[in-house]
Amino acid sequence: MAINRRRFMYCSSLALCGSACFGLPLGFAAEPPAGSGPANIRGKVFRGEAPARLWKWSREGQFYRRLEGGLVQCLVCPNRCTLQPGDRSICRTKVNMAGKLYTLAYGNPCAVHNDPVEKKPLYHFRPQSKVFSLATAGCNFRCLNCQNWEISQARPEDLRFVELFPADAVDKAAEIGSAAIAYTYSEAITYFEYMFDTARLAREQGIYNLLISNGYINAEPLEALCEVLDGANINLKAFSNGIYRRLNGGTLQPVLETLKTLHRRGVHFEITTLVVPGYVDDDAMTRAMCAWILDNIGPDHPLHFTRFVPRYKLNRLPPTPVSTLERCRAIAMEAGLRYVYVGNVPLHAANHTYCHQCGRKIVERLGYHIPVFHIKSGRCEFCQAAIPGRWHV
Amino acid sequence: MKSPSRAVARLVVATGVASVVAQLTVIREYLAAFQGNEFVIALILFSWLAWGGVGTWSAGLLIRVERLPHRAVLAHLSTALAGLAVIQLAGIRLLRDLVFTPGTSVGFYPTLAYIALGIGPYAFLVGLLLPYSLHVLRRSGHPAYPGAKIYILDNLGDVAGGALFAFVLIYWATPLQALAVAGLPLVGAAMSLNATGGGNPLGRWMSAGAVLVVMFLGGAFERHTLTPTSGRLLHYEESRFGRILAVQQAEQITLLKDGLPVAGTQNVALAEEAIHYPLSQLARPEAVLLISGEGGMLHELAKHRPQRVDYVELDPVMTALQFRYGLLATIPGLNVRHRDGRAFLKEHTGRYDAIIVSLPEPDTFQVNRFFTDEFFRLASRRLAPGGVFSFSMEGFENYLAAPQQRKLTTLYHTAIRHFDRVQLLPGLRIFFICRQQDVDLDIPAALARRGVETLYIRGYFDGNLTAERISQLNVLVKAPTAPNTDFQPRLMRIMFDQWFARFDTSPLIFYVVLGAGLAVYLLRMTRAEFVLFSTGFMTMGSEILVIFAFQVLFGYIYFQIGLIVTVFLAGLLPGAWLGSRLASRARMVLARGDILLVLLVAGFILALAAYGERLPAAFFLVFGFLTSLVCGFQFPAALAIEGGDGRAATRAFSADLMGASTGTLITSVGLIPYAGLYGAAAGLIALKLISLFVVHRSSDGHQP
Repeated sequence: MAINRRRFMYCSSLALCGSACFGLPLGFAAEPPAGSGPANIRGKVFRGEAPARLWKWSREGQFYRRLEGGLVQCLVCPNRCTLQPGDRSICRTKVNMAGKLYTLAYGNPCAVHNDPVEKKPLYHFRPQSKVFSLATAGCNFRCLNCQNWEISQARPEDLRFVELFPADAVDKAAEIGSAAIAYTYSEAITYFEYMFDTARLAREQGIYNLLISNGYINAEPLEALCEVLDGANINLKAFSNGIYRRLNGGTLQPVLETLKTLHRRGVHFEITTLVVPGYVDDDAMTRAMCAWILDNIGPDHPLHFTRFVPRYKLNRLPPTPVSTLERCRAIAMEAGLRYVYVGNVPLHAANHTYCHQCGRKIVERLGYHIPVFHIKSGRCEFCQAAIPGRWHV
Repeated sequence: MKSPSRAVARLVVATGVASVVAQLTVIREYLAAFQGNEFVIALILFSWLAWGGVGTWSAGLLIRVERLPHRAVLAHLSTALAGLAVIQLAGIRLLRDLVFTPGTSVGFYPTLAYIALGIGPYAFLVGLLLPYSLHVLRRSGHPAYPGAKIYILDNLGDVAGGALFAFVLIYWATPLQALAVAGLPLVGAAMSLNATGGGNPLGRWMSAGAVLVVMFLGGAFERHTLTPTSGRLLHYEESRFGRILAVQQAEQITLLKDGLPVAGTQNVALAEEAIHYPLSQLARPEAVLLISGEGGMLHELAKHRPQRVDYVELDPVMTALQFRYGLLATIPGLNVRHRDGRAFLKEHTGRYDAIIVSLPEPDTFQVNRFFTDEFFRLASRRLAPGGVFSFSMEGFENYLAAPQQRKLTTLYHTAIRHFDRVQLLPGLRIFFICRQQDVDLDIPAALARRGVETLYIRGYFDGNLTAERISQLNVLVKAPTAPNTDFQPRLMRIMFDQWFARFDTSPLIFYVVLGAGLAVYLLRMTRAEFVLFSTGFMTMGSEILVIFAFQVLFGYIYFQIGLIVTVFLAGLLPGAWLGSRLASRARMVLARGDILLVLLVAGFILALAAYGERLPAAFFLVFGFLTSLVCGFQFPAALAIEGGDGRAATRAFSADLMGASTGTLITSVGLIPYAGLYGAAAGLIALKLISLFVVHRSSDGHQP
C-alpha cells in the first residue's frame, strides 16, 4: 500500500506529539476523518454589539419571540439566536433593542446589479432574462470558500449601500425592464423582512421573485415566503452534516427540509452543489445525495455541480478537475435525476439541456447566450415531453 | 580527562551552524505552510529571536543550580537540539492540517500562535545554550573566559551556517536533509564534550544514535510528509524561491507554490482574460512581454500570432514544470528568460506592443516593486506607440470593500500618472488595461473581428462585464490618493489591512501586548543593555532596509540577497574581536559605536537618495558588513560594563536578541509600509540617538 501524507501523519503523530513541542492531545482515530481542524465553525452571537440606536433602515423583525428578562429569540433561521438587549445575531443583521428584535438590513442593499438569470444559476427559469439582483450585508453561515465574504461577513452599517426601500426596488426593476428580482449574493434569509416586503410588492406588479440561498431557514418564514416566491436556487453544500459544520458552520437537515417545502409548495427551484475537492467529491456522498433528491423531491429539479475555485479562506486547494464534475453528473444521471448540469466550466457540453425523454439537445447555452432553443409551451419540440421549469422566453 | 574548553568552543560553533540552518529552513517551512506575506516573515523572525532572548535569560536560572553536572547537561541538550530541529520541522509541516482545516489559510492570531509554539522549544534551547556554554567553560578551569569570545565563536558558526545554507544546502538538500547535514557537527561536538567528562560511553552513544536515527529518518521520509491529502504528488522541489509541488487530480495538474495553487491546466477563464483583454486593444501585436504567467496563457497568446514573445519568470523550476506538464505551450517566437522581470525590462532597450504582468498580490516587498510609480513609468517607456500595459488584482464581483477599494484606487492613481487611459475590468480578477489612447470595451467584438476564438470571453463577457458593472467599478477608484512608490510602499499596508479584514481581526491586541511587554523590559534593563538592545534593533532594521532597497534597484537576485544576509552576520565576528581588544575603554566604544551606526545609516540613506540606481551592488555589501561590524564591536564593551559574569553575559545576549527581534518586526510591518524607506531610516537613527544620549548620561556618572 502506498504511504501518503495523511497515513504518514498518523503513523508519525505519536512520535511528534511525544516531543511535547505542541502539547496537543493524542488519540486520533485509526481512520482519519475527512478533514481536520475545527469540527464546527458555526458563528456566535455578538454580545453587546448592537448599535446605540436604530437607524433609518431598521424594521421590527417578522419572526421572533420575546423571552423573559428582555431576551428575544429570532425565529427566521435554524440558528435561532437568543439575544440579550444590545446583542447582535450570528448573521449580523438582527439586534435586540430594548426587548424587541429589529433588522438593520431593510432598504439598504450594498450590491445592486442586473444579471442574466443563468448566472444565479437558474437554467429552467425564463432563459436569457435579466434579473434585478440585490443584497444587503449578512449571512447565517461562515463558509470558508465564500465568494461574497466582503458583504456576507460584514455588518450593514460597515458597508456602502444605496437606499432602496421595497417600493423603490420594485420600481427600479420595472424601470430597467427586469423580469424578476433576485435576492442573492450574500444570504437573502438574513434580510428576510426586506426580501418579503419587496417580493410582495413585486408580485403585485407582475415581477417575479427569485431566492438564491443556502436554504437555512425555518419552516414558518419559508411557508410565508413561498406565497410570493416564483423560483429559487438552493445551495446544497454537501450531503454530510460534518462537512456542513466544518466548512460552512451550518447543518444539513434544515436545508433538506427547505427543499421538501419548496417542492411541496410548487415553487420552481434548482439545486447547486459546489464540488470542493477532498470534501464534496466523494462518490458515495454524491450517490446518497441523489438518492435522497429522487426519493423526496423527484427527478425534475435541475441540479448543478459547480466547479470550486480557491477563494477567501479556502484558497490552498486546487480547483475541481472537470472530470470530477462529469463523474458527479454521471452518478446523478444514473440515479435517475433528469437535468444535471456542470457549472463554472466555460462552454462545457453539460451546460446544455437535453430532453429527458428523447435525449435531444433542446437548449444550447454558450455562456449566457442561447443560440438554440427547442422548447415550446414547456414541451420538447422533438418529442413533446414536458420539460420542468418556467420557460416563457 | 581531556580539557573541555576546545570541546565547548567546537560545540558553540556547531550550535551556530545548526541553528542558522534550522532558522532559515523553518522560515521557508512557515512560508510554505502559511501566508507568505511580509507580516508572517517578520513574525517568524520576531518569534525566533524573542524565544532566543527568553532562552538566554533563562540560562541564568539553570546556571544557579549548583548540583547539576553542567558539562553533561550541555552535551545532552546540544545532542537533543540536533534531533529537535527535525522534529520541529516535521511537526510544523504535519500538524498544520490537524490543527487547521486542510486547504484553508489561517488568520493572524492562529498563525502567530502556531509560529510561537512551533518555534518555541528549539529557539528557546538555542538561546539558552550560548550563555550556558560560557558557564560550563568558566566552571571547567577557565573562570575568566571572556563572554565576548563565546559571542565571536557563535558568530563564526552563524556565518558558516548561513553560507552553508544559502550557497550549498538550498541547491542540494531538501529541508529535512539540510537539518540532518547541519546537525551532524553538533552531534559530533556534543559527543566530544561528553567524552571529556568520562561517564558511561554506552549512554552517550545511545542518545547520539537515537538522535541520528531521527535526523536521517526525517530526510528519508521528506516526500511522504508532503503528499497531498487528495491527488497524486507528481513532483516536489525546493527551488531557491519556494516549495513547488505538482499535484495531479484526475486529468488536472496543478502547481502549488508555497501551498497556494498558482497554475493549473484547466484555468481557461483566467488565461483568456489575462491575455485577450489587453491584446484585444491591438490590431496586430508584434512583440509581447509576459512577466510571469500561468496555465494556458501562452496558448492564448499564440492566437494573436505575435512575432516575438519574451516570457520572463524568476524561478526556472516553475517554468520547467509548466512546460513539462503542458501548462504552458511552446509557441513560435517564444524566448524564455529566467530573470527578475523588472530588472529584465530595465535592461531591455526594445519596445513592446504589450506588456502583461501576471504576478501574485503585492504583499511582499519583492512583488510590490511591480506595482509602483517607478515600474509603471518604466513600462510606459518600453511600450511602442499604441501599446498596452496590463496587470490584475484579486477581484470581487459584487461589492468593493474598503481595503480593496483603497488598493485599487492607489493602483489607479499610480498608473494614471503614466498612461492617459487606465480602465479597470471587473470580475474574479480585476484587470487594469493601461494605454495612451482609448480602451475598447467591446472586447468580444474586437476578438471576433480578428478571428480570435475564445471560450470564456465569448460566452460570459456580456453578462459578467456589463456596462453598469464596469462603470460602478471605475467610479469607485477615482478619489484622489497618493501613489504607491518604490520607497513608499503604501500598497503593502493596504494589503496588510486586507489580510486582517479577511479574517475579521485586528493586530491591535498584539501591538498592545507587545508594547506593554517591551515597556516593562526596557524599564528593567541597564543602560548598557539598552545600547545593545537598540544596536540589535538597528542592525536587523538596517538589514531589512538594505534587502528592500537592493531589490528595488537591482531586482530579486538570489545570490546577492544571500550575500547581503551573510555579510550582516560576517561583520559581527571581526567587530567583536576589535571590541574585546578595546574593552578597557568600554563607554567610549559604546558611544563611538552608536555615532558610527547613526552615521552609517544616514550615509546609506543619503547615498541612496543621491545616487539611487547608480550605486553598485558592492555598496550594499559594504554597508551591511560595516553595520554588523559596529554591532559586534559594541558587544564586548557592554559586557565589560556589566561586569562580565555569567548573569551579566546572559542579560547582554538577551538584550541583543530582543532588540533584533523587535527591530525585525517593527521595521518590516511598521516603519517601511507606513513611513517609507526614508522614514524608516529616520526612525532607526532616532532610536540610536536615544541610545547615544543614554550612553552620554551614564558617562556623566549616572547608573551604568
